[in-house]
Amino acid sequence: MTVTKLLPVLLAATWLAGAAHAAGDRPAELAPLGPPPIPADNPSTPEKVELGKMLFFDPILSGNYGMPCSACHLPDAGWAILDRISFGYPGTTHWRNSQTIINSAYYSKLFWAGSSKSLEAQARSAARGGVAGNGEDDMMEARLAFVPDYRWRFAAVFGDDWPNIRHAYAAIAAFERTLVQTDTPFDAYMRGDDDALTEAQKRGLDLFAGKANCIACHNGALLSDEQYHNLGVPPYAGWEDDELAQITFRFELYAKGSTEKMYRTTKDDPGLYFRTKDARHKGKFRTPSLRYTKYTYPYMHNGMLETLRDVVEFYNAGGGENEFADTKSPLIQPLGLSDAEVDDLVAFIESLSGDEILIDEPELPEMQPLPAVVRN
Amino acid sequence: MKFPIALALALAVSAFVGAPALAEETGPLKPIDVKPALADLGKRMFYDTRLSGDDTLACASCHQPGKAFTDGEALSRAYSGAGHFRNAPTLANVGYRAAWLHDGRLGTNLNDVAREMITETYLMNMDMRIMQERMKQDPVYVEMFAAAGMSEPSNGGARNALQAFMQTIVSHGAPVDTGAMSTAARRGQGLFEGKAGCAGCHSGPRYTDDAPHNTGVSDNPEIWANPERHSAFVAYAKFMGIENYMNLREDLGAYLRTHRDADRRSFLTPTLRELTWTAPYMHNGVLATLDAVVAFYDAGGGDDPLKDPRLRPLNLVPSEKADLIAFLEALSGETFDTDAYVWRADDYGYEVIENWRETTN
Repeated sequence: MTVTKLLPVLLAATWLAGAAHAAGDRPAELAPLGPPPIPADNPSTPEKVELGKMLFFDPILSGNYGMPCSACHLPDAGWAILDRISFGYPGTTHWRNSQTIINSAYYSKLFWAGSSKSLEAQARSAARGGVAGNGEDDMMEARLAFVPDYRWRFAAVFGDDWPNIRHAYAAIAAFERTLVQTDTPFDAYMRGDDDALTEAQKRGLDLFAGKANCIACHNGALLSDEQYHNLGVPPYAGWEDDELAQITFRFELYAKGSTEKMYRTTKDDPGLYFRTKDARHKGKFRTPSLRYTKYTYPYMHNGMLETLRDVVEFYNAGGGENEFADTKSPLIQPLGLSDAEVDDLVAFIESLSGDEILIDEPELPEMQPLPAVVRN
Repeated sequence: MKFPIALALALAVSAFVGAPALAEETGPLKPIDVKPALADLGKRMFYDTRLSGDDTLACASCHQPGKAFTDGEALSRAYSGAGHFRNAPTLANVGYRAAWLHDGRLGTNLNDVAREMITETYLMNMDMRIMQERMKQDPVYVEMFAAAGMSEPSNGGARNALQAFMQTIVSHGAPVDTGAMSTAARRGQGLFEGKAGCAGCHSGPRYTDDAPHNTGVSDNPEIWANPERHSAFVAYAKFMGIENYMNLREDLGAYLRTHRDADRRSFLTPTLRELTWTAPYMHNGVLATLDAVVAFYDAGGGDDPLKDPRLRPLNLVPSEKADLIAFLEALSGETFDTDAYVWRADDYGYEVIENWRETTN
């Protein structure tokens, strides 16, 4: 690279990096991950977590008795789906990438555009969404009452006479709050173990906090600022050639609230706009955590980037282009990373994932006839 | 089940209940005037499984043309993972009804009936916003909506089309209309209007007063033995605001909408047209044959403290029962399994919209 080409890149990188980051430091903007917050209105107990685990895997919480949470959040697929877009409810397809359940406990808002304020609310929205669980609360609640095992568990955990559907979502959230990973190499390093990261990973950390300035958004213990940004991720390719994807895309435009003009002309996911109806928010999505990403490929809200290296190269090129050019973050600029630097950055990101989290799936109880109450 | 719909239904039903049944002469039913292009569109939709959430059920799954738009089951099939708690009624002459469903819960129009069937969680469980976009992805629908004078597929247009198709389902060729009744059937008609008293409720050209009555039809225990059916009933009873719905073990019929004790276990008088095609009988299918139905009424109906007092033992002799059945059979006409009522083409599919980025949604 010649000096004339390099100079603007260097200037930009210096501007982006803000406070200078000295090599070898543990950046103040990052931290090891502690225990997740437990909301006061949904305290955790082992019995509640066990119930939530059963419900997470039980198709009873869906419209067709066939789509449990785990359908699109498979433990051996990174608690997500290893495809660009989640397959969605039968007869449909979803329109966004399935996010991992691991460490979802730490987000203050859920879904790619932050439309749910809690894990409890997220579970409900997913169970009911037309391209997700397509369930209806009265029906799902009625079904729970026909499972003897659930009757006594809801009574023991929540004091319910009959299982309350809101409590099902509370139990699922309690289970999800146990699906955390706080012992990655990165965490050990941040807690003082200098040997927890390889030399390449340490160089990658310096780039992360310095020249590449990933830390501008991927900060804190979760490595997410929980803010919304447009990086210029290209639109989902399936919208060009998949008829079900075209159906779902229009449905989402219609269902989430669009002006007539927007509905007719929009060809990409407006993201945060659907929540705020502010044109400045079109195409913006919440910064995802980088934890557990070793297991959750492909990447971005629509899965358009296949590998972690693709992601780093995407940023190295200054992001991409989509139809919401006006809202693209000015933080996204070409980085001028060498191949070796890209390697180091990928190595560092891999240090944010520990062992794969797998569990034994629970045995699921079934609906039984409900004998009439004998009255004296 | 969406609450605003419930409110609208409650208002509509109360209006319906206040209207006295009109005494009408029997006789052939006149066709209802519908736009052919709209009815044709509704016909294609009626047989399309994509009107259900998971693409498994069409209207015709439970309303089959070869059975006068019933399904031959005591209790109807329902959406995946659910089961119904009632018998699928015939759609013959459905456009003339003043209220729909065995408990008369829908009292407005067939447009609302179509919406209820499509969106109800244990029936077709369809988010109609998805249905609309499905139709827009099918070039045949795009063309048919245009032919029916609509700019593009829409939910409202779809319901109007289904209504128009259902309004075309009109009985034709029944011996009672053509005059080709046997002498036994003529004797049976005398009994029907006289000694047996059937015409007290089965009146007018469709042989129904469109009003609820308690005839003491026994419970169908299959509902409570099958958790898929029972849980659908629980969801329904809860939605309708019934107290103690978890401990109910009976279908309360019109009471579910009126909450008046006198209406417990009362159900709308069904039409008697096309009944040779529509066994088994009653709101819960507990009577398998016409013989059983006539025997039921001959015995004065079933056992219920709220039973309509007009039901008394009839003391029909075997030949009278045979005559009555002959007349009942003369109320059935030609099959609906004809091109006029069946979408024969296997042309259901989606097409990718090419040049998607340049095409208006």
